[in-house]
Amino acid sequence: MKNRLKVLRAERGWSQQDLAERLEVSRQSVNAIETGRYDPSLPLAFRIADLFGMTIEEIFQRGE
Amino acid sequence: MTDQTLSRGPAWFWGGAFFVGMFGTGFAARALDLGSIPSALVMVPPMLLLIPLVRASEKAQAECGALSPATRRYNRRGLIWAFGYVIFLFVAVFGAKSGASGPLLWLLALLPALPIFLMLWTMARYLVEETDEYLRLRVINAALWATGLLLAVATVWGFLETFELVPHVPGWAAVPVWAVGLGASSIVNRWREA
Repeated sequence: MKNRLKVLRAERGWSQQDLAERLEVSRQSVNAIETGRYDPSLPLAFRIADLFGMTIEEIFQRGE
Repeated sequence: MTDQTLSRGPAWFWGGAFFVGMFGTGFAARALDLGSIPSALVMVPPMLLLIPLVRASEKAQAECGALSPATRRYNRRGLIWAFGYVIFLFVAVFGAKSGASGPLLWLLALLPALPIFLMLWTMARYLVEETDEYLRLRVINAALWATGLLLAVATVWGFLETFELVPHVPGWAAVPVWAVGLGASSIVNRWREA
């Protein structure tokens, strides 16, 4: 799955640590999601979407 | 060299020191034929190396953003049961050498298994308490690799033992083999992420 997390984070001037704290996950998790090593569960994907005020599909897309 | 690789230095050092210390004293005790009780005693100092090892590991985990409160609790509990294991093993060996028999011997023989059960409880609690799904998945993956390694080692060793090519190994050896597998797969995980 592809995602725009890194771009969305950069647009807001947040570090991985900032985003991790907002999502209440580890920085390692944010890094793994951004680099495509880990696809988040649906509840976490919803939390990410809510944080950015977007839908899940606007952040995560099909594909490698 | 990145900050992450630099921070692993102390953990590697203490891990190596613990490994060499435990096996070194174990082999030395056997080579010198020290007997069960002195053998258990000489292994206490290398056990203490677990404290700086856990501290250095936590520092490294914190620096690479992978230290959760559940991990911290797991480390603390694990450390307590590791020392509990050494103490209970010493009591069991001492009791057996003192001539315990009957139900008391059964009790003493099962005593070292108690902290191992508590270690299993610690692992189960970690999986329940870890709120970070990615970190939890990493530990589950590592545990599956460790289980696979244990099954492979036990199968190969078992057949070699059946054909009298290697000496008998007690069943409790499964725990340290599994723990080595867990540690090794965690290290491989971190390498892949670096």
